[in-house]
Amino acid sequence: MINNLHDFLHDFFELHDCEVHKTDEGLLHVKLTRELDEALMNRPFYWHYMDKLNQVGEPTTLQLDINKKQSESNGEWIHFGSPRLQQIFNFIEKKAKYTVLYEKRESTVQEPLYPWLICNLRVNYCGLQKKEVIYSIGLHLIHGAILLDMMNRLESLSFDRMMSDYTYTISPIIRPVSGLKRVYDFIESNIEQEDLTWAEQAMQTLNEEVELLQHFYYEENEEELFQQEKEDLTKRLYPTISIEIINAGIFYISNDSTSKLMMDK
Amino acid sequence: MNLQINRDTDYVEQFQNKIEDPTSLTSWDLFKQSYQIAETVKIDSFTDLVSLKLLPDLELLPHQKECAETVIQEMNGRALLADEVGLGKTIEAGIILKEYLVRGLVKKVLILVPASLVNQWTAELNQKFLIPANPATKRVNWEHTDIIISTLDMAKSERHRKAILEQDYDLVIVDEAHKLKNHKTKNFAFVQQLKKKYCLLLTATPIQNKLTDIYNLISILRPGYLGSYDEFMKNYRQQNKHVSDPYLKQLISKVMVRNRRKETGITWTDRKIETVWVDFTEKEQQTYLAIEDFFRQRTVISSLTYRRELCSSREACYLSLKKWGEADESKNNDVQLQQLLQSIGELPHHSKALKLIDLIKNSNEKFIVFTEYRATQIYLQWLLHQEKIPTVIFRGGFKKGKKDWMRQLFQNQARVMIATEAAGEGINLQFCHHLVNYDLPWNPMRLEQRIGRLHRFGQENDVHIYNFAIRNTIDEHVMNLLYSKIKLFENVVGQLDEILSELQVSNLEKEIESIFKESKSIGETKIKLDNLTAVISSHNTDTELEEKSI
Repeated sequence: MINNLHDFLHDFFELHDCEVHKTDEGLLHVKLTRELDEALMNRPFYWHYMDKLNQVGEPTTLQLDINKKQSESNGEWIHFGSPRLQQIFNFIEKKAKYTVLYEKRESTVQEPLYPWLICNLRVNYCGLQKKEVIYSIGLHLIHGAILLDMMNRLESLSFDRMMSDYTYTISPIIRPVSGLKRVYDFIESNIEQEDLTWAEQAMQTLNEEVELLQHFYYEENEEELFQQEKEDLTKRLYPTISIEIINAGIFYISNDSTSKLMMDK
Repeated sequence: MNLQINRDTDYVEQFQNKIEDPTSLTSWDLFKQSYQIAETVKIDSFTDLVSLKLLPDLELLPHQKECAETVIQEMNGRALLADEVGLGKTIEAGIILKEYLVRGLVKKVLILVPASLVNQWTAELNQKFLIPANPATKRVNWEHTDIIISTLDMAKSERHRKAILEQDYDLVIVDEAHKLKNHKTKNFAFVQQLKKKYCLLLTATPIQNKLTDIYNLISILRPGYLGSYDEFMKNYRQQNKHVSDPYLKQLISKVMVRNRRKETGITWTDRKIETVWVDFTEKEQQTYLAIEDFFRQRTVISSLTYRRELCSSREACYLSLKKWGEADESKNNDVQLQQLLQSIGELPHHSKALKLIDLIKNSNEKFIVFTEYRATQIYLQWLLHQEKIPTVIFRGGFKKGKKDWMRQLFQNQARVMIATEAAGEGINLQFCHHLVNYDLPWNPMRLEQRIGRLHRFGQENDVHIYNFAIRNTIDEHVMNLLYSKIKLFENVVGQLDEILSELQVSNLEKEIESIFKESKSIGETKIKLDNLTAVISSHNTDTELEEKSI
């Protein structure tokens, strides 16, 4: 959960090498980088011309106002519903789909790191309404142990994209792609245990509506419209579950930390 | 129950390649941030409205929130939003749309509204709801624009129709949906054919004249819900049942949300009604009688229209009488007609118009003046101009941009807006609180639409309504016999639509017209109108009593 949007955005811009100034009143002063300017400011022609003219170009400076009411904001208003934030969210979601990370160690002797598949997923339940459940799953790629709530368990560890000195990796026995399939199987067997009343209700409503439809078009003799209405109904009411991967990656973790992860409840 | 579960197969397929390609890998911090976002925007439950948290500046009235919940949770996104005028149907549709967008259930949206409301819808959705909605322009790309606001006329036109019918819409919204009440029209067929998952129809008058109006609207939302057309007619029409039939009422309540002002618990500003009586000058009265005589001799046609027109302005009457004369060569040499036209032409300024000038001059407020006739509209504008009172005129036929412009001129510069009937729909004038019914429409629903432009949510002042009527004319009958008795001005007409359909009075205006035409004397007219109003008002008290007893 994002508990403090101000901090969240500050970190985001800093991670992307922007100059950021944060004030206590909830303002954020950001000088964008070219990468972020292109992603957020929607002015492809500007950058196109700058490149043509061999010039560097000037990325935009944003003044973001967080937490206040829209009408009182002093700068660009940012809230969980604002389009700018949505844009930033989309940018992050797209960019942070895959990773390979190594636990940071300060070893003085050779130390092996064991492969884990960390996978965050969203299960979408669509019936009469929609609901989402998020899973964070860790799969040990050597012996196949599965842990839930993985992102929270990993919170106390640090990771880097480069291996620390004196560490080396153990190759997975379970291939990452088969790992993903195991994760799916695990979640699906979980879902099968769940209460399916919502889906039964949706199915029942769908059947009732289709019956009404048949009755309505019985005399009208308009097959095409009937089929279309039926299709619309099915789209709207047929219960479905889809599992979406938010992001996933291979994490190499030391034996010490692995034991701790497995111990935590 | 066997449920199919869809996997994200693309992701799985690409996974191996991606993790071997360093450029597609992300850092631990960003990986965490992405997960935090997912946790934050997650939709926890099937039921709560999640969009409201995203719109902290939106102030909702309780009935609006309830409406959105009902439509989403109980009606599964196909509903008739039929609040009385001014209770915020647009707001309700906005929350529903936002909720579906946030839940990821809706992406492609078509919104069909009257031309004069396109800009307002665009502004409200963008500003109040932060929804990126676009008005349809000439070169609109129906395929690639997600949320489009268009007019029904444009959408169904030859040029765009095909492209639109090819789209798969997740949500279709139709404002002023009573335009779809007739299932034999192109409007109806077009909306019926649209591919749509969810659908909202908005109208303040779900039943304008007949019970079949609502049948047709519901057929778009849920075909078959009220049975086939023939069955429905058989069940409810011939057996003399109506909307108060409890079974039918219950059926309808599952697809329609209808809030009434008095149920919303909000204090509304008052309507201050004043009838302004005007006496014809002797000359005018003579002309009025002359018209009646003239047509009584020629029994082919009733003088009704022309007398009504004379009560509005010389111009209206003159032009239409002249047109009648020119339609037929045999009347070219009709001396009596020429004399009549001449005497109309020679009349001095209209008594009603002079009274209007008086009223406006004695006040500093802005006025909106409604008339039924364009000729009157032009005359009044000229007359007010002579008096150095700045005016704007407003007609239904104006292009969208012109309507917005006129509204703005009225708000910022002019004192008076002179509008014809068609302006009643789709323009909001909360900044004005003086309304003149220069002539009265014979259909009370139209009257309510006029008043509703001013007396709506957001109006901070009491609304003053001045009803002009000329003594000893048809005006007086309509005023006394129809309007005063039903207390139409005081009570929001709200229920009248239902009453009329219960009484099987299919078209009140025609009913009244035929009473005037068929009655042989003033006495007879009075009796017939009395009967009509008595039935209506007794029904009114009946339903009030019924409602109290529940």
